[in-house]
Amino acid sequence: MTTRPTMIEFRDVHKYYGDYHALRGITAQIRAGEFFSLLGPSGCGKTTLLRTIAGFEDISSGAVLIDGKDMSLVPANKRPTNMVFQSYAIFPHLSVEQNVAFGLRRDTRPQAEKDKMVAEALEMVGLKGYGARAAHALSGGQRQRVALARALILKPKVLLLDEPLSALDKKMREQMQVELIKLQRQVGITFVLVTHDQEEALVMSDRIAVMFEGEIAQLADPETLYRRPNSRRVADFIGVMNFLPAKVLSEANGHIQVEAAGLGSFDIEAQQAPGEITGGEASVGFRPETLTILYEGQTAQDRETAGTIDEVVYYGDMTYYDVKLDGVEAPVRISMRNVFGRPVLDVGTRTRVAWSPGALVLFR
Amino acid sequence: MMKLPPLRIYALAYLVFLYAPIVLLPIFAFNDGTIIAFPLKGFTTEWFAQMFHNDTLGRALKNSLIIAVSSAVMATCFGIFAARAGSRFNFPGKGGIIGLIMLPLVLPEIIVAVSLLVVLLGMGVTLSIFTVMLGHILICTPYAIAILNTAFNSLDRSLEEAAYDLGESKLSTFRLITLPLVMPGLISSFLISFTISLDEFIIAFFLAGNEPTLPTYIFSQLRFPKQIPMIMALGTCLVLASIVLLTIAEYFRRRGIAKTGGKDTGGFL
Amino acid sequence: MSNTPLSRLARSEAASGYAMISPTAIYAILMLAAPLITIVAYSFFKDGYLTILHEFTLDNYIATWSDPIFRAILLRSLIVSGLVTFVTVVLAFPIAYYISFNVSASRKSLWIFLITIPFWTSYLIRVFLWKVILGYNGVINSFLGALGLEDPLRMLNTVGAIAVTLAHAYAPFAILPIFVSLEKIDRSLLEAGQDLGESRFMTFLRVTLPLAMPGVVAAVLIVFIPTIGDYVTPELIGGGKLPMVANMIQAQMLPLDNKPMGSAIAVSAMVVVTVISVAFLFLNRKFLRGQK
Repeated sequence: MTTRPTMIEFRDVHKYYGDYHALRGITAQIRAGEFFSLLGPSGCGKTTLLRTIAGFEDISSGAVLIDGKDMSLVPANKRPTNMVFQSYAIFPHLSVEQNVAFGLRRDTRPQAEKDKMVAEALEMVGLKGYGARAAHALSGGQRQRVALARALILKPKVLLLDEPLSALDKKMREQMQVELIKLQRQVGITFVLVTHDQEEALVMSDRIAVMFEGEIAQLADPETLYRRPNSRRVADFIGVMNFLPAKVLSEANGHIQVEAAGLGSFDIEAQQAPGEITGGEASVGFRPETLTILYEGQTAQDRETAGTIDEVVYYGDMTYYDVKLDGVEAPVRISMRNVFGRPVLDVGTRTRVAWSPGALVLFR
Repeated sequence: MMKLPPLRIYALAYLVFLYAPIVLLPIFAFNDGTIIAFPLKGFTTEWFAQMFHNDTLGRALKNSLIIAVSSAVMATCFGIFAARAGSRFNFPGKGGIIGLIMLPLVLPEIIVAVSLLVVLLGMGVTLSIFTVMLGHILICTPYAIAILNTAFNSLDRSLEEAAYDLGESKLSTFRLITLPLVMPGLISSFLISFTISLDEFIIAFFLAGNEPTLPTYIFSQLRFPKQIPMIMALGTCLVLASIVLLTIAEYFRRRGIAKTGGKDTGGFL
Repeated sequence: MSNTPLSRLARSEAASGYAMISPTAIYAILMLAAPLITIVAYSFFKDGYLTILHEFTLDNYIATWSDPIFRAILLRSLIVSGLVTFVTVVLAFPIAYYISFNVSASRKSLWIFLITIPFWTSYLIRVFLWKVILGYNGVINSFLGALGLEDPLRMLNTVGAIAVTLAHAYAPFAILPIFVSLEKIDRSLLEAGQDLGESRFMTFLRVTLPLAMPGVVAAVLIVFIPTIGDYVTPELIGGGKLPMVANMIQAQMLPLDNKPMGSAIAVSAMVVVTVISVAFLFLNRKFLRGQK
């Protein structure tokens, strides 16, 4: 993918509410046309950051630039952004059509053309023929679509989405995720999504900024975020990660020699150890799917260790095994795809485990 | 089979206690006798006719209507400002300021009346229906705020943000979104304030000077037994008017809650 | 930087809040706070003939408090208000309880509406009608006479009659706060109480009543404070023979035209009411804390 031009730029943005430091020096760029997510637990400042783009929050210091222009003196109603609110904010006293056409009120185009734009916008979000309905008679998913049409009809440079799927049930949410991705590709507008759901962020985004306590902890594409989290905190927040205590034995020529409990000593590459060096005590992390339980007759492609199955959680297509590796007290979680003809193992079974140093991340 | 638990019997008895005086009103209003007592003498509409031909009463009614409409409009406007400030902004001293504005709710009306009287006379203001208005606005505003608070609080803040985000100014957002959605609350606030002002006696008694209002006129006539039947007829009309106004106010209050998707928590105040 | 601290302040939330509330606040300050301060000031002035002498004096207060009539009237006002408050709240609690617990959710609004309607009908006429009901030739005595009772009851011009009339007038003020606090009680708490083996009555005493206390306290204050200042009821039902504080203030202010004296009485009454209310709140808080 070629690098796109920058659409939104945060320059050392700080926000205080009285004594409370809500945004602590945010510096980041969001590229034109990308699907960008702000991900973090509640209270991490992600919604505040989104609202500084929209212009609903003044910043205490720093600057927010949209398409190269400083927004500090541009009020929300003059910014090239539109927002889809968490509650959708559908005007209850207006019809679907009137809601979608709301932003066109000051537009000087002839009415016929505006009507055509409204019809197109409704069709785009799959609500063709719903125009005359009363807004309060719509379902949650339909409100969401009206909110999208209403925001997109103005052809903003940036579409802001504040937890837009959190009010929907699981099935509807997954369906809307796919539709939003398609819609974003179709219109080519920069989407900035706020969410606390890591799965949603991984599924939908080109890039994700993970936020904790008013700071961006890591900004990367979903795969990097999943495979190479730069801190234990990010690793913990996104998916499941096992940690084992480890010691750094030596470092040279881009290689690090590590000794980890239950795994023995091995070499990893320097790029597998993000973050600053703080001392000898460290831990290695690995995702449940990077370990494999070996059945009789199977051999490890790389390395092998052994342990006892402590707990079995059956998910239908998958089984999670909590395995106590020899010499380690806390069990590690290993996920195995269930295959026809291969039995689910019982608690207490002795088992061999295959692993590979290349799949590890070293945290220090 | 009907079963009446003691509590229900008590509740019904309480309603009888509440409505007993009001039920007597029409009975005596149509009673063909100048003494307000049982047994009844017969049916007449003479008292209503007398009421319509009474010039002082007419003037009192006109004064009261002017005062009530003006006070209700002003109290509702003040209520909008205060309710909006209270539900949207935080600022130092907010509790104290709102406390002062809401104070007439618990302050005996005679204190409001006396203190205003002292100041107005001290400044050389001539007492008139205008001075009554000043007092009535003061006592109606807390009720207006209480009603409008519910209206503003049940309004999702992101609705206004959405309109602003879609290019409207703060003012046009208020006109296009906020106002239509709180309109039932406004109507309800106006009607309640109107009813309170129309019925208020003490402040009018102190501040009206020589101008009669309905309550001060009624009060002055209660001393003359001859006038009582006509007052009963007047009271019947007033009660009917109040019930109609309150029913309309309640209708709009409920519609407002339904419109903004809120939950009914019941009742005024 | 275009973002000067001053422009930030002007756009800040506090500034918007002050701007928004200022019309109402200024009106309340001019028409309520300033007059209240003025009568406090007046109460320390001397009354000249037709004029007010702006000299500081405590004479009005000394005259007020050494006047046995004032003390008797104040005492009567407090007794009547206390009685009215007690009767009103005790009568109102079961109604609030009934509406909150025994009336189906869809009919609660109707009940509240029914209870508020009499409150909104002409206060003067309502008070007068109690005179008709309680009078020597009134409804009750006519009824008793029809039953064969020879001697009519003399109910008017008594403290009891004043209390009944005021209890009627302030009924919704007592019912609504108690109703609101009962509505807030989580119904599962009551089930929990009974589940833990308490009887219905004990559950009421140990769970419902303490949780409803804030509403009861609000009801007490909201009835007690205005009734002390009631003018119409003592005048009509008491026949002018049982004046209360408001009647005395009115007499000083209008017919006697002694504004400093009237102010001193008004301020004295307000102070007494405030002291009693604060003491009540304090005792109540202590009582609730002692219970835990």
